[in-house]
Amino acid sequence: MEKEYSLWADAFRRLAKNKIALVSLVIVIVYAAIALLVTFGLLADDWAQEVGPANVAPAADYLLGTDFLGRDVLKKVIYGTQVAMTVGFFSCAIAIPIGVTLGAIAGYFGGIVDDAIVWFYTTFASIPYLMMIIAIAYVMERGLKTMCIVLGVTSWVGLCRLVRGEVIKHRNRDYVQAVTALGGGHSKKIFTHILPNVFHLVIINASLRFQSAIKSEVILSYLGLGVQNVPSWGKMIDDAKQDLMQDRWWQLVGASFAMFLIVLALNILGDALRDALDPKLKGQES
Amino acid sequence: MKNLIFILVLSIFSCTKNSSTSSTAGAAAGGEKVLNLVVTADVKGFDPNQASDLYAGNEVARVYEGLLQFHYLKRPYQLEPNLADGMPTVGDGGLSYTFKLKKGVMFHDDACFPNGKGRELTAEDIAYSIKRMGDPKEQSKGWWLIEGKIAGLDDWRKNGNSDYTKEIAGIKVIDKHTIKFTLSRPFPQFLYAFAMPFTYAVAKEAVTKYGKEFVNHPVGTGPFITGKYNQGNQIVYTKNPNYRTVTYPSEGESGDSAKGFLKAAGQKLPLVDKIVVKIMKEEQTRWLNFLKGNLDAMGIPTEQFTNVMVPGKGLSDKFKKMGVMERKSVGLDVTYTAFNHEHELFKNNVKLRQAMSLAQDRDMVNKKFYQGISIPAQSITPPNIAGHIDGFVGQYQNLNIVKAKELLSEAGFPEGKGLPEITLHYTYNTKSRQIAEVFQQNMSKIGVKIKPVGVTWPELMKVVNTKQSMMFSMAWGADYPDAENFLQLLYSKNSAPGANGSNYSDPEYDAMFVKASMMEDSPERTALYEKMYKYVSEKVPWILGFHRVGYGLSHGWFKNYKFTEFNHGVAKYYDIDNAAKGELKTKL
Repeated sequence: MEKEYSLWADAFRRLAKNKIALVSLVIVIVYAAIALLVTFGLLADDWAQEVGPANVAPAADYLLGTDFLGRDVLKKVIYGTQVAMTVGFFSCAIAIPIGVTLGAIAGYFGGIVDDAIVWFYTTFASIPYLMMIIAIAYVMERGLKTMCIVLGVTSWVGLCRLVRGEVIKHRNRDYVQAVTALGGGHSKKIFTHILPNVFHLVIINASLRFQSAIKSEVILSYLGLGVQNVPSWGKMIDDAKQDLMQDRWWQLVGASFAMFLIVLALNILGDALRDALDPKLKGQES
Repeated sequence: MKNLIFILVLSIFSCTKNSSTSSTAGAAAGGEKVLNLVVTADVKGFDPNQASDLYAGNEVARVYEGLLQFHYLKRPYQLEPNLADGMPTVGDGGLSYTFKLKKGVMFHDDACFPNGKGRELTAEDIAYSIKRMGDPKEQSKGWWLIEGKIAGLDDWRKNGNSDYTKEIAGIKVIDKHTIKFTLSRPFPQFLYAFAMPFTYAVAKEAVTKYGKEFVNHPVGTGPFITGKYNQGNQIVYTKNPNYRTVTYPSEGESGDSAKGFLKAAGQKLPLVDKIVVKIMKEEQTRWLNFLKGNLDAMGIPTEQFTNVMVPGKGLSDKFKKMGVMERKSVGLDVTYTAFNHEHELFKNNVKLRQAMSLAQDRDMVNKKFYQGISIPAQSITPPNIAGHIDGFVGQYQNLNIVKAKELLSEAGFPEGKGLPEITLHYTYNTKSRQIAEVFQQNMSKIGVKIKPVGVTWPELMKVVNTKQSMMFSMAWGADYPDAENFLQLLYSKNSAPGANGSNYSDPEYDAMFVKASMMEDSPERTALYEKMYKYVSEKVPWILGFHRVGYGLSHGWFKNYKFTEFNHGVAKYYDIDNAAKGELKTKL
C-alpha cells in the first residue's frame, strides 16, 4: 500500500523531484539570504565608497567594474538585491492579506457583500496599473516604504478574484456544512476550514506576485519614482543609458542579470508549486 | 486672394529652383539662397503675446519686430534701435522714455488691410501692442515684464474692460512717429523689454480680423513673410520684398573680423531669400539630417560629443574634412545648489555654507557632465555682462577639503558631528541624479550627510515656494543681459514664492541691491555690481555651479553664424554660400 502523505509533505516530495525547481528554490533562498545580510549591514554596507577610478571595466579587483563615481558595481548589484527583495516581500505582505480577506469574504457571504467587493475591485482594476502606481508614487514621499505600499495596495485584485472563486466552490461543500452543524461561526468556517483548502493558490500567487513586484520596482526606479539614495537595479539601468554610448556595458549587464535570474527562478518555482500543490495530482507520480 | 495666388506661385517656383540647385552640385552659385534651420519642439504659434518659449520667440522674431534689438556682433550685449529711430530720450529723472519711430516702416501685405496692401507703422501701433500685453482678455505671457512699471497700465488692466481708446498716463502717443512711456518708478532695465518678442509691434487690423486665429496669421514688419501657420512639420519664410533698407553691421567685438563676421558689412538685409524651418523633435533625426547637409546647423548631441570634438583640440578630423565649423556658446546662466536660509541650520551659518562649498569638487562635475568645458562660477553674474569679473577666483568656490573641515568644526560640527541629514531636492533626470550623487559623495568626505530626492519640476517649485526644502538644485538663465537680473535672485523682498527661492536675507546686500537697481548703466553701477559679485562669492548664499558652455555645429556654407544668447531676429544676418554648398555637399 502506498504511503499516505499530508498535502504539504506530498507537495515537497514532488517538488524535490523537479531538479530545475529545486535550483530555483536555492536561488530564491540565496537572494533572500543576501537581502538579509545587507539589511543587517553585513554585506555591501560600503557600496557608496569609491573603490577605484571611475568607469573601470570588470577586472580581478572589481568583478563587475566600477561606475561613474568609482563605486563597485558588484556591491551596487548586491545592495540592489536587498531593495528588490524587500519590495517583493513587503508588497506581498500587504497585497496578500487584502486579497485573501476580501476574496474570502466576498466568496463566502455572496449577495450584496459580494456585489460590493466585486464592484470595488473591478473599478480598481480598470485603472491602468502602471499609471496608478506612478500617480501614487508622485503623491507620497519617494522611498522604499512608499514603494512597498504602492506595489502592495495595487496588486491584490488578481488574488482576490481567485480566492473568491475558490471560496464560492468550497462554501457549500460537506465539510463546511458539517462545521455549521457543529455550531461553528462564520469566521471559524472561513479562516479555520475553508482557507487552508485554498491556501496553495495563495502560495503560487505569492511567488508570481513577488517577481512582478521586483519588475515594477525596477521600472519605477528607472523612472526616478523609486528608492532614493540607495542603489537599485532600475537606477543602474538608467545610468547605463549613458554608459552604453561609451561601450560601458557592465552596469546594465550586472543589474539585468541579477533581475533576470530572480524573476526566472520565481517564475519556474511558481509553476512547479502549482504542479506540486494541485490536490488533484496528489499521490500521483509526475 | 491675389496675394495668396502670388505666394503660391512663388513658392512652387522657388521649390523647383531649390531642388535643382541641390541636385546639381556646384552649379547655381548665384541661385536662390535657402537657409535650412531646425527647431526642436512644437512652435505654439505666431502671437508675440504668447511667445514665452524660445521656439515660438524665434519664429515670431522672423516676422515681427520691436523698437529695439541687441547688436548682433558687439559684446557685452548692447541695445540698438530697430523700429525706433535712435535710442529713446530719457527724462524726468529716469521715469520717462520718448521713442521716435523710423519713417516708412510698412506692415506686410495682408488681407486684413484695405486692398491687401500693408500700411505704415505708427506710434499708435506701438501703444496698441503694449496695451494688448496688459489686456486681461489676451492673457499675455509677457505681462510680468511690464507689470507694475508703466504708470496707469496696471489700473487699466484691473478695470478689465479692455477699452483700448481709454487714455493711459504712462503710454502717450505724441505724434504719428513719437511715443512716450512714463514709469511709475525708476527701472533702468525697462528698455530691455522692447527687445523681447512680447512687445513686438502688431497691427490692430490683423488682431481684429483674425481674432482667435491671429496666432496663426503673422502680419508684422519684419524681414521675412510666411503665410498662414498650419502647425505642420515645417515653416517656410520668404524674403519681405518691401523690407526697409537695413544693412549688416560694420563693427563688432575684437576678433569678429578674423572670423569673417564682418565680410558682409554694409550689405542690405536680409541676406537669404528663403528660410525653411523644420520641426524635428528627435535628436537622432536632426543629427542624420545635419550629416546629410539638409540642416545648416545644430547643437552637438551629447552622446556624439566624443566623436565630434577632440578634448582640448576642437573638431575631429572627420568633421574638419567635411568643412563643418564649431561654435562655442557661453550661456548667460548660472547653475546652483541653494540653501534654504529660513532653515535653522543655514540661517546665519556662513561657515557651514563655506565649508560645504569648499568640499564640492566642481572640476570633477565639469569633466563628468559638461565635457570639461563649462565655466565653474566664482559668483553669481555670468561672463559677457557688466558686473562679472574676469579672472576672479573665489575664496570658497574651489575645492579645499582641509579648509572645509576646519570651517565645519568652527561652525560647530567637527567631522560633521551634530549635523542632521540634509535633504537635497532636484528635478529628476538621469544626469541631475548623477550630479546629485556626486554632490552627496563630495559632502560625505567632510562628514556631511546628504539625502538627494529627485522630484518633478512642479513638485520642486512647490517645495521651494513653500520653503519646505533644505537644499535644492536650480539654474537661472538671463531674461536680459544685466547683472540686476541675477542679483535680484538674492534680494530679500523676492523671497519665495519669488525668484529668491533660497530666501537669502541680508540687509547689507539688500541695501547694495536697491541702490544698484535704481542706477542707470554707468561705470559707478558696474563698480557696485562688481562689489556685489565679490560679496556673494564670500557669503556663499548658494553652492555655485557653472556658467554652461556648449558647442554648436554648422556647415561651411553657412555664413555669419555668430553665437548670441539673444537670437531673436538674427536670421536676417545669416547667409548661405551656394558655391561652397555645392562643393562641400559632395564631401558629406
